[in-house]
Amino acid sequence: MHPDRHDTWVVIAAYNEGAVIRDVVLGVAREGWSVVVVDDGSRDDTADCARSAGVTVVRHAVNLGQGAALQTGIDFALRRGARHIVTFDADGQMAVEDIPVLIAALDAGADIALGSRFLGTVEGATRERMALLKTAVMMSNRMSGLELTDAHCGLRAFHAHVAPKVRMVQNRMAHASELLRKIKQSRLRVVEVPCTIRYTAHSMAKGQGGFQAVRILFDYFFRAAS
Amino acid sequence: MIIRVLLLLALAAIGWFIFLRRNKLPFHIVTMFGLLGAGAVAVVVPHETDRIAQWVGVERGADLIIYLSIVAVLFVLVHYFAKFVEIEQKLTQLTRELAILRAEVERVVPPATKVSPSPPASPPASPRPATDDVSELPQ
Repeated sequence: MHPDRHDTWVVIAAYNEGAVIRDVVLGVAREGWSVVVVDDGSRDDTADCARSAGVTVVRHAVNLGQGAALQTGIDFALRRGARHIVTFDADGQMAVEDIPVLIAALDAGADIALGSRFLGTVEGATRERMALLKTAVMMSNRMSGLELTDAHCGLRAFHAHVAPKVRMVQNRMAHASELLRKIKQSRLRVVEVPCTIRYTAHSMAKGQGGFQAVRILFDYFFRAAS
Repeated sequence: MIIRVLLLLALAAIGWFIFLRRNKLPFHIVTMFGLLGAGAVAVVVPHETDRIAQWVGVERGADLIIYLSIVAVLFVLVHYFAKFVEIEQKLTQLTRELAILRAEVERVVPPATKVSPSPPASPPASPRPATDDVSELPQ
């Protein structure tokens, strides 16, 4: 259906997502994209569920964190000769239809394309969460020196040759800030693309609260300054 | 005084542990026992430390020891935090290599999805020779 899509690898990091991972993976694979699921040492049947959808599963023997899982997926995709790499969430809050828009941005000359909830649409979020996200965007822009409309939307796409420049060493959630910092440092051409985020009860339960922000800041400033 | 006995016992216990792990550099051992000896002296004649303290500008020897201890503890803390981060990154590297390697192997040998309690009626003929069976290899 889409012969040009097989060398675009969609990296999905999953931790205890057995309930939804199969549907998410099928949705992406049906569109013709290559998919690698990184099971970050889940204690449930995430790996089996993803395998049943017919995609490659790379499984961390121990839980390392989302940043480490994404980087493993990126490394794997590069080994398989990926031309574009897309990062996608496992919890079903992203829309598959946004992927071709990201790739189009890359083809139009961007080094890296980031999804933005605030240019697109957010469904099902509470007022408090939107306020928290807006604050995060302000803080994130201050820290990274970039001027973006969204901070850490997990939907991103970049060329394979850009991957070494945005290599993440932050194992947990601080990888998102690390990525933005590296975009700035390498002066990459970054484009924001509107995307749709649908918060569900499932994804909200696994989402980041204000409390985790302290942990993320600690990681960002005190860990692995490379 | 009881506190002197307790402190000397604690120092002796640390000395014993170092003695048990004495397969290190002689320099290391001498330094450690030197520190322990100095500690023992400070416990037995605490007022002698006052002279050193006053020489560097601190009134009491006990205060000087506390200041030095705090600096030493902070140094150890920073050192082990750096070590911890380093080990964490090595763990990440190992886990990543293992995960990718296993995925590559599973391309050739697909993983068994379910473990069945009873063997299938007619097992598929194995293309491998019987000697591949680990149980038949000489131990």
